Amino acid sequence: MRTLDIANVGTFDVNLWTAGSGSPVLFLHGYERHPGGAPFLQRLAASHTVYAPEQPGYGNSTGFEHVQDIFDLALFYRELVRSLGVERIDVIGHSTGGMVAAELAALSPEIIGKLVLVDAFGLWLDDQPAQDPFGAADEVKAAKWHDPAAIPNPEPTIFVPDPEDPHGEIFFQAQNLATATKFMWPIADRGLRRRLPYVRARSLVVNGASDGLVPTAYAKEFVRLIPQCELAVIADAGHYPFIEQEDEFIATVEKFLSA
Amino acid sequence: MKFHWFAEATYNDLPERLPQKNPSSAVDLPMDLVDSRKVGEHYKMFIRLMQQADTLGWDGLAVNEHHQTTFAMTPSPNLLAASLAGTTENAAILIIGDSLALYNPPNRVAEEMAYLDCLSDGRVIAGFVFGTPMDTAFAYGISPAELRDRFHEARDLITRAWTADEPFAFNGKYNKLRYVNVLPRPVQGRPPIWVPGSGSLETWDLVLDEDYCYGYLSFFGLDNARPIVQGFWDRVQERGFEINPFRMAFTQLICVADSDKEAERDYAEAVNYFFTRQKAPLHYATPPGYMTIASQREGLRRQRGIGADVRQRAANGELSFWEADELGFIVAGTPERVRQRLETLATELHVGQLITCMHMGNLPEETAAKNNELFGRQVAPHLRDLFTDFEDRWTPAVSQQRVAAGAPKITVPAN
Repeated sequence: MRTLDIANVGTFDVNLWTAGSGSPVLFLHGYERHPGGAPFLQRLAASHTVYAPEQPGYGNSTGFEHVQDIFDLALFYRELVRSLGVERIDVIGHSTGGMVAAELAALSPEIIGKLVLVDAFGLWLDDQPAQDPFGAADEVKAAKWHDPAAIPNPEPTIFVPDPEDPHGEIFFQAQNLATATKFMWPIADRGLRRRLPYVRARSLVVNGASDGLVPTAYAKEFVRLIPQCELAVIADAGHYPFIEQEDEFIATVEKFLSA
Repeated sequence: MKFHWFAEATYNDLPERLPQKNPSSAVDLPMDLVDSRKVGEHYKMFIRLMQQADTLGWDGLAVNEHHQTTFAMTPSPNLLAASLAGTTENAAILIIGDSLALYNPPNRVAEEMAYLDCLSDGRVIAGFVFGTPMDTAFAYGISPAELRDRFHEARDLITRAWTADEPFAFNGKYNKLRYVNVLPRPVQGRPPIWVPGSGSLETWDLVLDEDYCYGYLSFFGLDNARPIVQGFWDRVQERGFEINPFRMAFTQLICVADSDKEAERDYAEAVNYFFTRQKAPLHYATPPGYMTIASQREGLRRQRGIGADVRQRAANGELSFWEADELGFIVAGTPERVRQRLETLATELHVGQLITCMHMGNLPEETAAKNNELFGRQVAPHLRDLFTDFEDRWTPAVSQQRVAAGAPKITVPAN
């Protein structure tokens, strides 16, 4: 836990997962949960110092009540990066974490090294309406995974069961998703489109080819709007390419970060 | 005790099975199921039934707000209330209520309720509701993470708008208004305020702190209500407030007939229609963040009234008319039987404001009118004197006086 005081905003206790050594990388998790020490994060930590905070309002991270809008959240992450004592940091943002990473890169370009957006929310295309992440469970599942029959069980999570609290994980998930609605409900568009042209970092957009929550058309729109941006579509993967195609994901991201 | 006439304005011509994949009567139901001309006829029927109830001594006429659903086709309760405020004389106009987070800016609520209070000579009860998940999160796109916060900000704005002596600036999180100066103001100043809830501690404390009437508006009867209502009264006592039955409202479906046999004949189909046509898939009913984690934990801990399996049987149309009656989902039968059961209900729950649902599902107008007639003349007069030791601060003074002067009295048999 790390405590962050942001003047005129509030105090945040941040559950900061940290591992590895090497050039610093900030990983911002997606709308469902922090993946904990998932294999892909461990592999990133083999050549980077990985900082993976749990977003305010998720799991054990507090202070969500201080977050009024997406700018507060971008400000929070800027201050978190400063508190790490690094000048610049490469940022990998997944899902809603990608939405926030893109905001951060547009609003505080001076602290961003390279930017990787993985199946990032934040845009809306009228002619390509995407599946509602809060829709019927079977439809969401089908949209989220390339192969719903091969979902890892359990899915990678930072949640630690407490024998005293048999329903703990249900409430952990309920609270996470409640927090997610702040910037995803009813459409995950808080004006990012207007700010993406101000991203200065070299950027990579990664997209699972089968992602129904953030279809490839959305990834292409990110690439069109960000000045220096390339696209990597990963076949046979949905919203979680680092789970369904871990090897290809790591190879793609490491190649981009080391170039 | 007080009686408030109510009906969900349910569309009366739905097929037995809703045709879509997720059989939902809300949010995304196919609109070609609904004939607008029939809807218009329906509205006129509800207005006539409530006008009749006004002449029969009901203490209030209740209207509610729902969106994108055939279960209750009243997107603005204030519109229906306006039809009643100008054409009735005695009963309170119980707006239960406006979904505050859905009005932008919410001083619209302050204005419209004030208009209604002026038009009705001060008979408005102002209900403030969160709104169902389908209404707020889905039909109106409010993030569940912000719903409560928006509700409370709106509540603060509206109450101040009714009572401030001079124009004021309101710099809220969601509402920025340089000049708040609502016109007209309610005749009553701040009208009585009712807030319904589903058993959360936060809402109990809110109604007690603000002196609101609390509504537990379930359609599942006495047994289902008992644990939550008891929890509420425990909290009232714990907080040191008076256990005044008028600070609580409860809903009950009612089917009165000349004989029990006639009750079954006249109401069975409509009751079945009511319970089987209000379907919402799980993801519409429980979006994340709609209930606080504290309330969800409390819900797990609390003793169950009526189990989910029994509700499911009702939704599947598997309950017989008299099973529904026995479970308390309906109170049916002769005036004498209905009177006894309501007395038990009111006494056991210690509830002074009964919202009587006199029309349900696809009930024909003439049956509902007869329900009104029998209840108004042969049931209500016998129960009106319950709880007269307590002061009712939650019903407008004007409607209390007018109803007391005009309501039917107990008819003493000749000889």
